[in-house]
Parts: sequence; structure tokens; C-alpha cells
Amino acid sequence: MPNHTYHEPLLALRNISQQFDGEVVLRDISLDVLDVKRPGVQQGQVVGFYGRSGIGKSVLCRIIAGLLPPSTGTVQVGNPLRPVVPGDVGFVQQRYPLFDHRTLFDNLLVAAARKHAPAEAKARVETYLERFGLAPHRRKYPAMLSGGQRQRAAIAQQLLCSEHLIILDEPFSGLDVAMIDEVKKIIIEVTTLDELNTVVVVSHDLVTTTSISDTLWLLAPERDAAGQLLPGATITKEHQYNLADMGLAWRPGVDAVPEFVQLVQHLKDEIRKV
Amino acid sequence: MLKQLFTPNARPKTSVFYAMVAGQVLVLLLLWLFYPLQLFPTLGEVGKAFRDLVTTQGLIQELWASLTTALAALGIATVLALALSYLTALPFFRPLAYAASKMRYLTLTGLTFFMALMLSSGHQVKLSVLIFGATVYLVTGMTSVILTTTQEEMDHARTLGLNEWQCFWEVVVLGKLDDMLEVVRQNFAIIWTMITLVETLYQSEGGIGLLLYKQNRYLHLAGVVAIQIVILLTGALQDFVFEYLRRLFFPYAALKAAK
Repeated sequence: MPNHTYHEPLLALRNISQQFDGEVVLRDISLDVLDVKRPGVQQGQVVGFYGRSGIGKSVLCRIIAGLLPPSTGTVQVGNPLRPVVPGDVGFVQQRYPLFDHRTLFDNLLVAAARKHAPAEAKARVETYLERFGLAPHRRKYPAMLSGGQRQRAAIAQQLLCSEHLIILDEPFSGLDVAMIDEVKKIIIEVTTLDELNTVVVVSHDLVTTTSISDTLWLLAPERDAAGQLLPGATITKEHQYNLADMGLAWRPGVDAVPEFVQLVQHLKDEIRKV
Repeated sequence: MLKQLFTPNARPKTSVFYAMVAGQVLVLLLLWLFYPLQLFPTLGEVGKAFRDLVTTQGLIQELWASLTTALAALGIATVLALALSYLTALPFFRPLAYAASKMRYLTLTGLTFFMALMLSSGHQVKLSVLIFGATVYLVTGMTSVILTTTQEEMDHARTLGLNEWQCFWEVVVLGKLDDMLEVVRQNFAIIWTMITLVETLYQSEGGIGLLLYKQNRYLHLAGVVAIQIVILLTGALQDFVFEYLRRLFFPYAALKAAK
């Protein structure tokens, strides 16, 4: 008997396709992220998003974040659902961009001021600086922060102004094991801050990402019935994995479970397929 | 320690570096002192010409006159160039900035003639030619800076919910002010090239350019070298002041540089 239930959608993609100069990059992508509820837990959602390099993951992320209008299809976010506009979805890009001309405090304040009155915005920035272990660095410029501090700052900045949904592009790239644990902790903390908080993790680190996710998407090319490769990549129903239903979500030490190991191997095989 | 001076990307101690610079200047002076070129005036002759220029020909006053004119021209040109460059955000104004940038190929001699027809006072002619000349160079540099704005920078601002004007203000205006000041610093040198030319063409107001022209005309090579050295040192001082201002107002700018 599963100890979780699904409720209203928080993100809905319908028939998303994207072409650049006639070249199909993405094709017919339809997805939903539903609000998952667990008794006694404030449980947000973590979606692991995989795909080979250059297949169009960043394009889909920009579409979900409202930064790129798709050639066809719609993206809706929020509760109740509405068409996405830039600012609805936080997007922490791979190099953790911040405003280099502002101190860390001011960087967060720019974001907080988008949604709150000045006094409230300052109080929220203070809270986030403390929560993300950045309080001693408040007066530093981004160039003075370490990679890990910069990443935490970028996540905090996006959380301060986005509407529950945040995309992290390669958050584990180039990190040592201790830092990876730290980032995992941050993601889990973010998703337990609010029932509606949803983190999409774009990554090539299958084990780490799968171990914290409750849903997986695999963006891959598709073949037709005759075995011919169709133009553009998509996320088929078979490539949408519900880890919660598989009993592989929210389990400490899940990466040692045989089913988890098998799933990761299956994902690797699927990614290698052309 | 000496090996470091010939190692790629090495960072010798500050004291070692300054001792090296002092040594190089000393070698240059000694060479000039003991192995003078036939055509080139000796160090003593240049020193004598410098004293003469200061005491009898008002070198300091002429330098001040040129410097204040150059600063006024640079100030106005900077405002104009910033406005033109930032307006490139609006498609309507892009041809204007493009045309302004291409106008740096126009010759100042021809321009001075038109300015003289349009304006009444010599000072206005001089100033307007300098403003025009500096603006077209500044627009070229400033639009290049604006074009370095990346998709990632704009996406970042947009994901924070800033509208397009706010994104432009945060990323392009505030985010690149330090680079704009650097463009102004680099192009200030061009104003010195122009001012000496303009003062020669329009002699009623004097200035260090006219003084230089007179030394050239009467083949006072020592005087020419003395004035060139004065202009060089003034330029070096300007660079220092601009660098200081950059560090003062944009402390983050130095953090971006490779160490």
C-alpha cells in the first residue's frame, strides 16, 4: 500500500516541440508534475532529468522557465495552473550566475524585493543567508565566493523570487563527495520547506540524482514502428519513471538497494541507445 | 628571484618588480646620456628645452588649457556615447549607433572646416570637433562592451522576474559600468592625438598642440621631445587616476582579472 497520494498538477507541459532553422530539436513532449502528499511530511517534488549531451535538455529547461517560447505547445505552472512567464520558475544555470557588481546580500535582495516590501525582503534575505550558511559572506562580491558558496547563493537567489519551481542545471558537476552530499542536503531541504516546492535536477550523475528523486525524465531520440529514427528528442511515457510508485523514493541508503542498482543500469542502457 | 622575471605568468614580488622597472628606466637614461643618436637630441638638450618652454613659452599654462579642453570634451563625449550605446537596446536607434561608430573614419581636417562654418568662436569649434571625434570612438568601444552581454546573463536576470527594462538596467547598465570606464580611459589617449591636431588647425586658442607645432616648424627637436615627454607623463597620470577611480567605484572589477 503506497504511503503517498498524488494531487493537482504543479507543472504541465503539453505537446512541446522546438525547431531552430527548420531543425527539430524537441518533439511532442507532454508531462505533468503532480503535487505528491505523504502523511505527516511536508513533501515537495524532485524530478531527475537525464539525456545525452547536446540532445536539448537546456532548451527544454529554458522553455519550462519561460525564457524561450516553444515552436508549438504550452507550459503551465503554479497552483492553479497558468501559462509560464519568466520569473515563475527559478533556473540555476551551470555556472551559477549572480550579479558580479553586487555583494552577496544585494544579490539576494534584488530577488527578494521582487515579491516583498523592503523591510520584509531584508528579513527574508537574512533568513536565507543563515539557512544556506552564507551569513559570514554577506558583504563579499560573487568573485570572492568559492564554487560551493556561489552555488548556494544562486539557489537561494532563485528561491527568494520563484514560484515554488526551480531547475538546477548540473548541480553535482565537478564537486567532491562531501560537496555532493551538501548539495543533496540543500535540495532535500528545499523540497521539504514547502509542500509545493519542486526541484528539477538536470544531471549526468545518475546515481546521485536518482537517489534523491521521486520522478525521472529521460530525454532521448525515438524510433518509429519501422525502426527509423524520428527527428528531435522527446520524453516518452516509457521514459517517465515514477520512483515513488516503484518504492525507490525518499529512502535513505536507497543506492544500495538491488532494484535501484538495476534501474540505474537500465537508465545507462537507455541513454546509450541511439 | 631573477628567474621569475622570465617565467610565463609569474608574479614576482612587488618590490622586485618595481626594482626591475627602475633598472630599465635607468638603463634607458644611461643609453640616452652616453650613446646619443645623431638625429636625436641629448638628455641635456631636452632638459634645457623643457626649462625654456616652461619659463618663456608658458608650457604649463598651455598644458592646462589643453587638459581642461580635453576633459570637457571627454565628459560631454562620454555622456553622448553612453546614451547612444545604451539606446542600441531599442532597435529604432541601432542604425544611429552604427552610423556614429563608422564616422570615426572621417578626417578631422574636413570636419574642422564644417564646424568653423557652423560655429562662431574658436573654442566652440575646437571643443565640438573633439567631442565628435571622441564620441565616435567611444561609441565603438561601448557598443562592443554591450555586445559582450551573454544569453546566460540575460536569462539569469529574467528568471528573477525582472522585466526587459530592469534586465537591461541590471545587466547592461549597472553590470558593465566598470568596463565603460575602461573604454573611456583607453580612448582618452585619442583625444590627445586629436587635440594637438585641432590646435594646429585652429590656432587662435593656443594650447600644447600649437606649442608642439611651433617647435616642429622651427626644427627645435629638443623642444618637440620635451613636449612629447610632458604629454606622455600627463597620459600616464591620467591612466593612474582612471585606474584609481575604477578601483574606488567598482571594487569588484579587479576581482574579475586573472591573477
